[in-house]
Amino acid sequence: MFEQEDDIVERMIQQLRRPVAVDPALDARVLQAITAPRPSQRRVWPWLAAAAMLGAVMIWRPWSRGSGADRPDTLQFVLVAPQANSVSLVGDFNDWDPKRSPMRTANGIWAAVVQLAPGRYRYAFLVNGVEWRADPGAPAARDDEFGTPSSVVTVGGRGS
Amino acid sequence: MILAVLLIAVQVAAQDPRLDRLDPDTRAQVTAVVDSARLAGLPAEPLIQRALEGATKGAPGPRIVTAVRRLSVDLGTARAALGDGASVPELEAGVAALRAGATPQVLANLHSVRRPPLTMALSVLADLVASGVPADSAAVAVLALAPKARDADLVEFRRAVERDIALGAPPAAATSIRVNAGADVLNAAGPPPPGPALPRRP
Repeated sequence: MFEQEDDIVERMIQQLRRPVAVDPALDARVLQAITAPRPSQRRVWPWLAAAAMLGAVMIWRPWSRGSGADRPDTLQFVLVAPQANSVSLVGDFNDWDPKRSPMRTANGIWAAVVQLAPGRYRYAFLVNGVEWRADPGAPAARDDEFGTPSSVVTVGGRGS
Repeated sequence: MILAVLLIAVQVAAQDPRLDRLDPDTRAQVTAVVDSARLAGLPAEPLIQRALEGATKGAPGPRIVTAVRRLSVDLGTARAALGDGASVPELEAGVAALRAGATPQVLANLHSVRRPPLTMALSVLADLVASGVPADSAAVAVLALAPKARDADLVEFRRAVERDIALGAPPAAATSIRVNAGADVLNAAGPPPPGPALPRRP
C-alpha cells in the first residue's frame, strides 16, 4: 500500500520537475500590469480633479468679485420728442460730447443704449443741438450750476 | 526764466486734452484745481467731467471754474467722511448726498453700518431729497435700511417713495411708512429671476 503511494508521489514529483515553456515577454507584461493604473483609477482621478477645481472656483467666485466692483450695466435712455430732428445723449460717461452718443428714433421716440460701470452719472439730452432736456423718467440733478437741467443715474455694484 | 518756461511746458504737457474745449484762461484755472486735487489724493475725473459739462452747456468760464472748485472741496469733505478707501463713485455719490443736505456725520455713519460699495445708498439718499423728502428723513431712512438691504432693494424703496409722493402722499410720511414696511418687504423679496440681461431704464 505504501509502495503504491510512493509511486504516485514520485510521478507527481517528476511532473513538477518537468520544464515548462514560459513566454519570454511574461516578465514585461507582469511589470506593466503592476505599474499601470487600474482602469477604475483612470476614470476616478480626472473627476476628482475636476471636482476640486470646481470647488475652488465656487469658493473663489471670481464672477461675484467682478460684479461688485466694475461690471458694467446696460442702460437704455429714452426721450419722447416727436418734433426733434436730432437728439444726443451727453453725460459724464461720454465726456459730454454730443457726437459720441447720437440717439436713434422710431416714430418720435429717441433711444440710445450704453454700457456703464458702477457709479453715479449726470446726463442730459441735447435736442436739435441747442435745447437741453432732463430725463423725465429719472431723478433730477439738484446741483445744476450751469443753468440747464440734468438728470442722474446710478449704476449699482451689488445686487442691483 | 528758463525754469518758468519749463514749468509752463510741463503743465501744458500734463493738461488733459479734453480740456481743450475750454478757453485758455478757464483751462488754466481748471487745470490748477485738478492738479491740486491730484496732489491731495482726490480723483481728477469728476472735476474734468464737471468742466466738460460746463463747456458743452456753454457756461461762462468763471462759472465753470467755480463749479470745479466747489466740487473739489466737496470731494475732500466726502473723502474725510467716507475714509481714504472710498472709491471714486462713492465719493461722487457722497458729494451728491452732501449737497442734498446730508451731514458728513451721516456719511460716516453709513460707512460704519454698510459694507462697500456705498454708491447706491448715498445716491438713493440724494435722490430722495431731490424728490422732496426732507434731508433728515431721507438720512434716517437710508441708515435704517442700509445694514441689510441690497442695492436693488434701495432702488425699489426709492421708487416706492416716489410713487407715493406722485400719488399725493407727504414726502416725509411716505418715506417713514415705506421704511417701517421695509424690513418685511425686503425679507419677502427674493433675488431677481434669472434671465437674459436686458437694457434697463435709469
